[in-house]
Amino acid sequence: MSSLKEYFSTDWAAMTATDWVGTILTVVIFVLMVVAYVYAYRPKNKEKLEDRKFQLDDGERLDSGEKNGG
Amino acid sequence: MDARAEQKYSLGVVRWFAVMAVVYLVVGASVGVYIASELAWPVLNFDIPQLTFGRLRPLHTNAVIFAFGGCALMATAFYSVQRTCGVRLWSEKLAWFTFWGWNLIIVSAVITLPLGFTQGKEYAELEWPIDVAIAVVWLAYSFNFIMTIAIRKSSHIYVSNWFFLAMMIMITYLHVVNSLSIPVGLFKSYSIFSGVQDAMIQWWWGHNAVGFYLTAGFLGIMYYFVPKQAGRPVYSYRLSVIHFWALTFGYVWLGAHHLQYTALPDWTGSLGAAVSLAMIIPSWGGAINGMMTLSGAWDKLRTDYTLRFLIMSLAFYAMSTFEGPVMSIKTVNALSHYTDWTVGHVHSGALGWVAMVGAGAIYHLITRCFHTEMWSAKLINVHFWLFTIGTVVYIVAMWVSGIMQGLMWRAYDEYGTLVYTFAESVEAMHPYYAMRAIGGAIFLSGAVLMLINVVMTVRKSAAEGKVDQARTAALASA
Repeated sequence: MSSLKEYFSTDWAAMTATDWVGTILTVVIFVLMVVAYVYAYRPKNKEKLEDRKFQLDDGERLDSGEKNGG
Repeated sequence: MDARAEQKYSLGVVRWFAVMAVVYLVVGASVGVYIASELAWPVLNFDIPQLTFGRLRPLHTNAVIFAFGGCALMATAFYSVQRTCGVRLWSEKLAWFTFWGWNLIIVSAVITLPLGFTQGKEYAELEWPIDVAIAVVWLAYSFNFIMTIAIRKSSHIYVSNWFFLAMMIMITYLHVVNSLSIPVGLFKSYSIFSGVQDAMIQWWWGHNAVGFYLTAGFLGIMYYFVPKQAGRPVYSYRLSVIHFWALTFGYVWLGAHHLQYTALPDWTGSLGAAVSLAMIIPSWGGAINGMMTLSGAWDKLRTDYTLRFLIMSLAFYAMSTFEGPVMSIKTVNALSHYTDWTVGHVHSGALGWVAMVGAGAIYHLITRCFHTEMWSAKLINVHFWLFTIGTVVYIVAMWVSGIMQGLMWRAYDEYGTLVYTFAESVEAMHPYYAMRAIGGAIFLSGAVLMLINVVMTVRKSAAEGKVDQARTAALASA
């Protein structure tokens, strides 16, 4: 436990501007990824998103793809 | 014959890019087989500087990545963006400028690289005037693509276009930043970066050339051409959304894993490896998404040889996107780095994924753009097996050779002395280098068959007047 504590310890005072930019960017991207996962897999959005896969049908027939429910 | 498409879309430039992609595939693979043979039989250097491995290797990589890969990406992006947006290209003139500009750059590379003009940066060897030309032509390509999307008739931007866009935006700034240099003459310049920063910038570019040019761009191809060729919508659009954002957010972090055990701070390599492992999730999600598009229609693989290329490419994509993260882990990297294992890994992606999906897309394109069936379907099947067998022979040879190299280099005896000299490890590689050259030659023969088939199809289309008929029918109906 103590080694884990040591592993995750940070000298916050020593953080440079570059360190802060990198840290904030990493956290923001992580949050955005969570938002993307929630948005894509929210049941409410399923029909809207899955309908878009038929946009390819520009005159060349696609099968119904009823088994391609995602 | 699709007169409607001939009337509605700009197909001329697509036809030229598609045919040139096949020509460059043969040229690039030929140089590859020659330099692989030089490593097995060094006498093939003939003591001619322009023919040595060091001069021809960058010519091989530039030919397959930027000549074949570039023409394939430009053909497929220009084709699919029109069809998914329901409009012609924003500017046909700009598209032709892109075609001639890109081909001029390729000719410049063919002349300057064997003559020894190089910046010495991997996958960015070309000297500064050519780098400037690449930036101009790439921006013309990107601007035309973006403006075509801007004038689209559909409300939604289909996912293949997202992947193409990610490639265009990322490659623009990767290329510009990595190529920043101080010219000291027309054919000589020095990077503005130095030391470890130069190495980091180089591999930030190097890995993202793979990540965005050879992965995101070719995933754009996959998301359009797999559903089209299969005649079915993509398995899960939601999965494609996650695939896109995870890949786009994640890939840019990976470059540092190329610099494990170097002067780079240790944490950067660890971060690169950690994000590499995380990237298995979106990569496999995308591969499964492509393959499962055939769900309920797997029988099509029996008769549709073009579809075989597209699906097999996804198997190699899944394999190489698992192998890469594993190789980035420090423990594995200690064995694999600087060995032929890396070469094998790169080629499982390049031959198995990029060339396969590119070939499948081009076969699809050729029939749609020249309004006729391929000259020989049987030849497509033979090509498929030559590509598959050639790739497997190549990567197996490099796996065995690479792991053997790594083990020989780290072997110590009881006194702590190295068991093998470097020359002994080189000697041990010889059978595998010969095997690699044979694998490459098998692959090359597949590419030659493809070129013959494409040329004969174009000739057949011209003899039957298919393109003219489509144009006439389009005019009559207008």
